[in-house]
Amino acid sequence: MTVDAQTAYLAIAVMALVTLSTRLGGAFVMRFVTLSPRVTSFLEAMSASVLAAIVVTFIVNNGTREALAVGIAILVMLATRSAIWAMFAAMAFAAGFTVFLT
Amino acid sequence: MSDVSPTPGFAPRFTAHGLVRGGQRLLPVSVFVFPFGVAYGAAAIEAGLSVDQALVMSLVVFAGASQFAVLDLWQAPLPFLSLALVVLAVNARHFILGAAISPYVNGLPPRHWFGSLMLLSDVNFADSYQAMKEGERDAAHILGGGLVLWSVWAIATAVGVFAGTLLGNLERFGVDVVMAAFFAALAVGMVPSFKAALPVIVACAVAVLALPLLPTGWNIIVAALAGGLVGVVFPSESKATP
Repeated sequence: MTVDAQTAYLAIAVMALVTLSTRLGGAFVMRFVTLSPRVTSFLEAMSASVLAAIVVTFIVNNGTREALAVGIAILVMLATRSAIWAMFAAMAFAAGFTVFLT
Repeated sequence: MSDVSPTPGFAPRFTAHGLVRGGQRLLPVSVFVFPFGVAYGAAAIEAGLSVDQALVMSLVVFAGASQFAVLDLWQAPLPFLSLALVVLAVNARHFILGAAISPYVNGLPPRHWFGSLMLLSDVNFADSYQAMKEGERDAAHILGGGLVLWSVWAIATAVGVFAGTLLGNLERFGVDVVMAAFFAALAVGMVPSFKAALPVIVACAVAVLALPLLPTGWNIIVAALAGGLVGVVFPSESKATP
Protein backbone atom coordinates (compact mmCIF):
# COMPACT_ATOMS: atom_id res chain seq x y z
CA MET A 1 0.00 0.00 0.00
CA THR A 2 1.24 3.47 -0.75
CA VAL A 3 1.86 5.94 2.05
CA ASP A 4 -0.33 9.05 2.01
CA ALA A 5 1.45 12.39 1.56
CA GLN A 6 0.82 13.75 5.04
CA THR A 7 2.22 10.66 6.73
CA ALA A 8 5.16 10.60 4.34
CA TYR A 9 6.18 14.18 5.14
CA LEU A 10 5.75 13.55 8.85
CA ALA A 11 8.10 10.59 8.54
CA ILE A 12 10.61 12.69 6.56
CA ALA A 13 10.46 15.37 9.29
CA VAL A 14 11.13 12.73 11.95
CA MET A 15 14.07 11.42 9.91
CA ALA A 16 15.47 14.95 9.53
CA LEU A 17 15.24 15.65 13.27
CA VAL A 18 16.78 12.32 14.28
CA THR A 19 19.61 12.79 11.77
CA LEU A 20 20.27 16.37 12.89
CA SER A 21 20.45 15.20 16.50
CA THR A 22 23.16 12.68 15.53
CA ARG A 23 25.13 15.47 13.80
CA LEU A 24 24.92 17.82 16.79
CA GLY A 25 24.95 15.22 19.56
CA GLY A 26 28.60 14.18 19.42
CA ALA A 27 30.03 17.70 19.76
CA PHE A 28 27.33 18.62 22.27
CA VAL A 29 28.07 15.86 24.76
CA MET A 30 31.80 16.61 24.47
CA ARG A 31 31.08 19.92 26.23
CA PHE A 32 30.31 17.96 29.37
CA VAL A 33 32.06 14.60 29.14
CA THR A 34 34.60 12.71 27.08
CA LEU A 35 33.41 9.75 25.05
CA SER A 36 34.58 6.66 26.90
CA PRO A 37 36.33 3.88 24.94
CA ARG A 38 33.35 1.62 25.69
CA VAL A 39 30.88 4.03 24.13
CA THR A 40 33.16 4.47 21.12
CA SER A 41 33.48 0.69 20.75
CA PHE A 42 29.71 0.35 20.96
CA LEU A 43 29.05 3.00 18.31
CA GLU A 44 31.74 1.65 15.97
CA ALA A 45 30.52 -1.93 16.22
CA MET A 46 26.90 -0.83 15.86
CA SER A 47 27.62 1.25 12.74
CA ALA A 48 28.86 -1.77 10.80
CA SER A 49 26.31 -4.13 12.41
CA VAL A 50 23.25 -2.15 11.42
CA LEU A 51 24.34 -2.07 7.77
CA ALA A 52 25.04 -5.81 7.77
CA ALA A 53 21.68 -6.52 9.41
CA ILE A 54 19.87 -4.52 6.73
CA VAL A 55 21.71 -6.42 3.99
CA VAL A 56 20.94 -9.84 5.48
CA THR A 57 17.27 -8.94 5.95
CA PHE A 58 17.11 -7.79 2.34
CA ILE A 59 18.62 -11.09 1.15
CA VAL A 60 16.25 -13.23 3.25
CA ASN A 61 13.26 -11.24 1.98
CA ASN A 62 14.37 -11.62 -1.64
CA GLY A 63 16.42 -14.44 -3.11
CA THR A 64 19.32 -15.89 -5.07
CA ARG A 65 19.76 -12.98 -7.45
CA GLU A 66 20.06 -10.51 -4.59
CA ALA A 67 22.30 -12.78 -2.50
CA LEU A 68 24.72 -13.28 -5.41
CA ALA A 69 24.72 -9.55 -6.19
CA VAL A 70 25.66 -8.75 -2.59
CA GLY A 71 28.35 -11.45 -2.66
CA ILE A 72 29.84 -9.83 -5.76
CA ALA A 73 29.72 -6.41 -4.09
CA ILE A 74 31.66 -7.77 -1.10
CA LEU A 75 34.31 -9.40 -3.33
CA VAL A 76 34.74 -6.27 -5.43
CA MET A 77 34.97 -4.16 -2.27
CA LEU A 78 37.67 -6.44 -0.86
CA ALA A 79 39.57 -6.31 -4.14
CA THR A 80 39.25 -2.60 -4.97
CA ARG A 81 38.33 -0.95 -1.61
CA SER A 82 35.90 1.13 -3.66
CA ALA A 83 32.22 1.17 -2.69
CA ILE A 84 31.39 2.72 -6.07
CA TRP A 85 32.87 -0.19 -8.04
CA ALA A 86 31.22 -2.64 -5.66
CA MET A 87 27.87 -0.98 -6.29
CA PHE A 88 28.29 -0.94 -10.08
CA ALA A 89 29.43 -4.57 -10.22
CA ALA A 90 26.40 -5.70 -8.20
CA MET A 91 24.06 -3.63 -10.38
CA ALA A 92 25.54 -5.04 -13.57
CA PHE A 93 25.19 -8.59 -12.26
CA ALA A 94 21.59 -8.07 -11.10
CA ALA A 95 20.66 -6.45 -14.40
CA GLY A 96 22.22 -9.32 -16.36
CA PHE A 97 20.49 -11.87 -14.16
CA THR A 98 17.09 -10.25 -14.77
CA VAL A 99 17.62 -9.91 -18.50
CA PHE A 100 19.10 -13.35 -19.20
CA LEU A 101 17.77 -15.67 -16.50
CA THR A 102 14.21 -14.58 -15.85
CA MET B 1 34.49 20.73 31.49
CA SER B 2 36.48 19.17 28.69
CA ASP B 3 36.21 22.15 26.40
CA VAL B 4 39.76 21.48 25.33
CA SER B 5 41.56 23.58 22.77
CA PRO B 6 44.02 21.75 20.53
CA THR B 7 46.65 24.43 21.10
CA PRO B 8 46.88 27.21 23.70
CA GLY B 9 45.25 30.38 22.45
CA PHE B 10 43.32 28.45 19.77
CA ALA B 11 40.16 30.30 18.82
CA PRO B 12 37.90 28.77 16.19
CA ARG B 13 36.61 31.10 13.49
CA PHE B 14 33.63 30.91 11.17
CA THR B 15 34.03 33.01 8.04
CA ALA B 16 33.10 33.07 4.36
CA HIS B 17 36.74 32.41 3.46
CA GLY B 18 36.71 29.18 5.41
CA LEU B 19 33.42 28.23 3.79
CA VAL B 20 34.88 28.67 0.31
CA ARG B 21 38.09 26.80 1.18
CA GLY B 22 36.10 23.82 2.46
CA GLY B 23 33.84 23.87 -0.58
CA GLN B 24 36.68 24.06 -3.07
CA ARG B 25 38.48 21.11 -1.55
CA LEU B 26 35.42 18.90 -1.89
CA LEU B 27 34.38 19.87 -5.42
CA PRO B 28 36.40 17.08 -7.09
CA VAL B 29 35.44 14.52 -4.42
CA SER B 30 31.75 15.29 -4.72
CA VAL B 31 31.70 13.68 -8.18
CA PHE B 32 31.77 10.32 -6.41
CA VAL B 33 28.58 11.15 -4.52
CA PHE B 34 26.66 11.52 -7.76
CA PRO B 35 26.04 7.85 -8.65
CA PHE B 36 24.73 7.16 -5.15
CA GLY B 37 22.32 10.07 -5.38
CA VAL B 38 21.03 8.86 -8.74
CA ALA B 39 20.62 5.35 -7.35
CA TYR B 40 18.77 6.71 -4.33
CA GLY B 41 16.41 8.81 -6.43
CA ALA B 42 15.55 5.86 -8.66
CA ALA B 43 15.17 3.48 -5.70
CA ALA B 44 12.93 5.96 -3.87
CA ILE B 45 10.54 6.13 -6.82
CA GLU B 46 10.59 2.35 -6.99
CA ALA B 47 9.72 2.18 -3.28
CA GLY B 48 6.65 4.35 -3.86
CA LEU B 49 7.82 7.80 -2.81
CA SER B 50 6.56 10.68 -4.89
CA VAL B 51 8.98 12.88 -6.82
CA ASP B 52 8.58 15.67 -4.24
CA GLN B 53 9.00 13.35 -1.27
CA ALA B 54 12.21 11.82 -2.61
CA LEU B 55 13.67 15.27 -3.27
CA VAL B 56 12.58 16.77 0.04
CA MET B 57 14.05 13.81 1.88
CA SER B 58 17.44 14.35 0.22
CA LEU B 59 17.30 18.07 1.02
CA VAL B 60 16.32 17.86 4.69
CA VAL B 61 17.83 14.52 5.76
CA PHE B 62 21.01 14.46 3.61
CA ALA B 63 22.24 11.11 4.90
CA GLY B 64 22.29 8.58 2.08
CA ALA B 65 22.60 5.36 4.04
CA SER B 66 19.61 6.15 6.26
CA GLN B 67 17.58 7.34 3.29
CA PHE B 68 18.17 4.03 1.55
CA ALA B 69 17.44 2.13 4.75
CA VAL B 70 13.93 3.55 5.24
CA LEU B 71 12.87 2.59 1.70
CA ASP B 72 12.50 -1.02 2.89
CA LEU B 73 10.08 0.16 5.59
CA TRP B 74 8.15 2.51 3.30
CA GLN B 75 4.72 0.85 3.34
CA ALA B 76 1.42 1.91 4.86
CA PRO B 77 0.96 1.86 7.79
CA LEU B 78 4.36 3.48 8.17
CA PRO B 79 6.17 1.99 11.20
CA PHE B 80 7.25 5.32 12.71
CA LEU B 81 9.11 4.08 15.75
CA SER B 82 11.19 1.45 13.98
CA LEU B 83 11.78 3.92 11.15
CA ALA B 84 13.14 6.52 13.60
CA LEU B 85 15.28 3.94 15.40
CA VAL B 86 16.71 2.55 12.15
CA VAL B 87 17.65 6.10 11.12
CA LEU B 88 19.21 6.65 14.54
CA ALA B 89 21.21 3.43 14.33
CA VAL B 90 22.38 4.00 10.75
CA ASN B 91 23.42 7.59 11.54
CA ALA B 92 24.87 6.89 14.98
CA ARG B 93 28.36 7.13 13.51
CA HIS B 94 27.77 10.91 13.28
CA PHE B 95 28.15 10.96 17.08
CA ILE B 96 31.73 9.75 16.71
CA LEU B 97 32.49 12.26 13.96
CA GLY B 98 30.99 15.12 15.98
CA ALA B 99 32.88 14.12 19.11
CA ALA B 100 36.15 13.94 17.19
CA ILE B 101 35.73 17.35 15.61
CA SER B 102 34.33 19.00 18.78
CA PRO B 103 37.59 20.74 19.84
CA TYR B 104 37.43 22.77 16.61
CA VAL B 105 33.81 23.90 16.97
CA ASN B 106 32.89 23.98 20.66
CA GLY B 107 34.24 27.48 21.31
CA LEU B 108 31.99 29.03 18.67
CA PRO B 109 28.83 31.08 19.30
CA PRO B 110 25.69 28.89 19.03
CA ARG B 111 24.63 29.72 15.48
CA HIS B 112 28.14 29.20 14.10
CA TRP B 113 28.41 25.99 16.09
CA PHE B 114 25.12 24.84 14.57
CA GLY B 115 26.21 25.91 11.10
CA SER B 116 29.46 23.98 11.34
CA LEU B 117 27.71 20.77 12.25
CA MET B 118 24.38 20.84 10.45
CA LEU B 119 25.73 19.22 7.27
CA LEU B 120 28.38 17.05 8.92
CA SER B 121 28.88 13.80 7.02
CA ASP B 122 31.62 11.22 6.57
CA VAL B 123 33.18 12.96 3.58
CA ASN B 124 33.43 16.55 4.78
CA PHE B 125 34.38 15.30 8.23
CA ALA B 126 37.33 13.38 6.81
CA ASP B 127 38.46 16.36 4.74
CA SER B 128 37.97 19.11 7.33
CA TYR B 129 39.39 17.04 10.18
CA GLN B 130 42.55 16.55 8.13
CA ALA B 131 42.66 20.26 7.25
CA MET B 132 42.28 21.22 10.90
CA LYS B 133 45.09 18.94 11.97
CA GLU B 134 47.17 20.81 9.39
CA GLY B 135 46.30 24.19 10.90
CA GLU B 136 42.91 25.16 9.47
CA ARG B 137 41.09 27.18 12.15
CA ASP B 138 37.89 28.03 10.37
CA ALA B 139 34.95 25.80 11.30
CA ALA B 140 33.00 27.08 8.28
CA HIS B 141 35.34 24.77 6.35
CA ILE B 142 33.07 21.87 7.43
CA LEU B 143 29.93 23.65 6.28
CA GLY B 144 31.55 24.62 2.96
CA GLY B 145 32.33 21.00 2.17
CA GLY B 146 28.89 19.99 3.40
CA LEU B 147 27.14 22.49 1.12
CA VAL B 148 28.95 21.12 -1.94
CA LEU B 149 28.04 17.54 -1.02
CA TRP B 150 24.47 18.56 -0.21
CA SER B 151 24.03 20.29 -3.58
CA VAL B 152 25.43 17.34 -5.51
CA TRP B 153 23.29 14.93 -3.47
CA ALA B 154 20.12 16.92 -4.26
CA ILE B 155 20.90 17.28 -7.99
CA ALA B 156 21.79 13.60 -8.28
CA THR B 157 18.58 12.63 -6.49
CA ALA B 158 16.62 14.73 -8.97
CA VAL B 159 18.34 12.94 -11.87
CA GLY B 160 17.57 9.55 -10.32
CA VAL B 161 13.96 10.47 -9.63
CA PHE B 162 13.58 11.60 -13.23
CA ALA B 163 15.13 8.38 -14.54
CA GLY B 164 12.97 6.30 -12.20
CA THR B 165 9.78 8.01 -13.30
CA LEU B 166 10.72 7.79 -16.95
CA LEU B 167 11.93 4.20 -17.14
CA GLY B 168 9.41 2.52 -14.86
CA ASN B 169 10.43 -0.79 -13.33
CA LEU B 170 14.17 -0.51 -12.73
CA GLU B 171 14.85 -4.08 -11.67
CA ARG B 172 16.17 -4.85 -15.15
CA PHE B 173 18.87 -2.23 -14.50
CA GLY B 174 19.74 -3.74 -11.14
CA VAL B 175 18.73 -0.62 -9.24
CA ASP B 176 16.97 -2.66 -6.56
CA VAL B 177 20.25 -4.19 -5.34
CA VAL B 178 22.13 -0.90 -5.10
CA MET B 179 21.29 -0.30 -1.45
CA ALA B 180 22.25 -3.79 -0.30
CA ALA B 181 25.45 -3.73 -2.37
CA PHE B 182 26.40 -0.29 -1.08
CA PHE B 183 25.72 -1.23 2.54
CA ALA B 184 27.64 -4.49 2.22
CA ALA B 185 30.60 -2.58 0.78
CA LEU B 186 30.42 0.04 3.55
CA ALA B 187 30.27 -2.64 6.24
CA VAL B 188 33.29 -4.41 4.70
CA GLY B 189 35.14 -1.09 4.71
CA MET B 190 34.35 -0.59 8.40
CA VAL B 191 35.79 -3.97 9.38
CA PRO B 192 39.59 -3.75 9.37
CA SER B 193 40.33 -7.26 10.68
CA PHE B 194 38.76 -10.65 11.22
CA LYS B 195 38.40 -9.96 14.94
CA ALA B 196 36.54 -6.74 14.18
CA ALA B 197 34.07 -8.78 12.10
CA LEU B 198 32.67 -10.58 15.16
CA PRO B 199 29.98 -7.94 15.96
CA VAL B 200 28.91 -7.96 12.31
CA ILE B 201 28.61 -11.75 12.22
CA VAL B 202 26.55 -11.77 15.43
CA ALA B 203 24.36 -8.96 14.08
CA CYS B 204 23.68 -10.93 10.87
CA ALA B 205 22.69 -14.04 12.85
CA VAL B 206 20.42 -12.05 15.16
CA ALA B 207 18.81 -10.24 12.22
CA VAL B 208 17.92 -13.53 10.50
CA LEU B 209 16.68 -15.26 13.67
CA ALA B 210 14.59 -12.27 14.80
CA LEU B 211 13.11 -11.49 11.38
CA PRO B 212 10.08 -13.82 11.63
CA LEU B 213 9.53 -12.98 15.32
CA LEU B 214 9.41 -9.17 15.40
CA PRO B 215 7.42 -6.39 13.69
CA THR B 216 8.91 -4.78 10.56
CA GLY B 217 12.33 -3.23 11.10
CA TRP B 218 12.78 -4.34 14.70
CA ASN B 219 15.03 -7.28 13.84
CA ILE B 220 17.49 -4.70 12.46
CA ILE B 221 17.39 -2.63 15.64
CA VAL B 222 17.87 -5.67 17.88
CA ALA B 223 20.70 -6.88 15.62
CA ALA B 224 22.41 -3.47 15.70
CA LEU B 225 22.26 -3.39 19.50
CA ALA B 226 23.57 -6.95 19.71
CA GLY B 227 26.46 -6.06 17.40
CA GLY B 228 27.23 -2.96 19.48
CA LEU B 229 27.29 -4.99 22.70
CA VAL B 230 29.59 -7.59 21.17
CA GLY B 231 31.86 -4.69 20.21
CA VAL B 232 31.96 -3.55 23.85
CA VAL B 233 32.64 -7.02 25.24
CA PHE B 234 35.25 -7.90 22.61
CA PRO B 235 36.73 -4.56 21.53
CA SER B 236 38.95 -4.71 18.49
CA GLU B 237 42.12 -2.61 18.52
CA SER B 238 40.19 0.64 18.41
CA LYS B 239 41.27 3.46 16.19
CA ALA B 240 41.78 6.61 18.26
CA THR B 241 39.88 8.66 15.70
CA PRO B 242 37.45 7.48 13.04
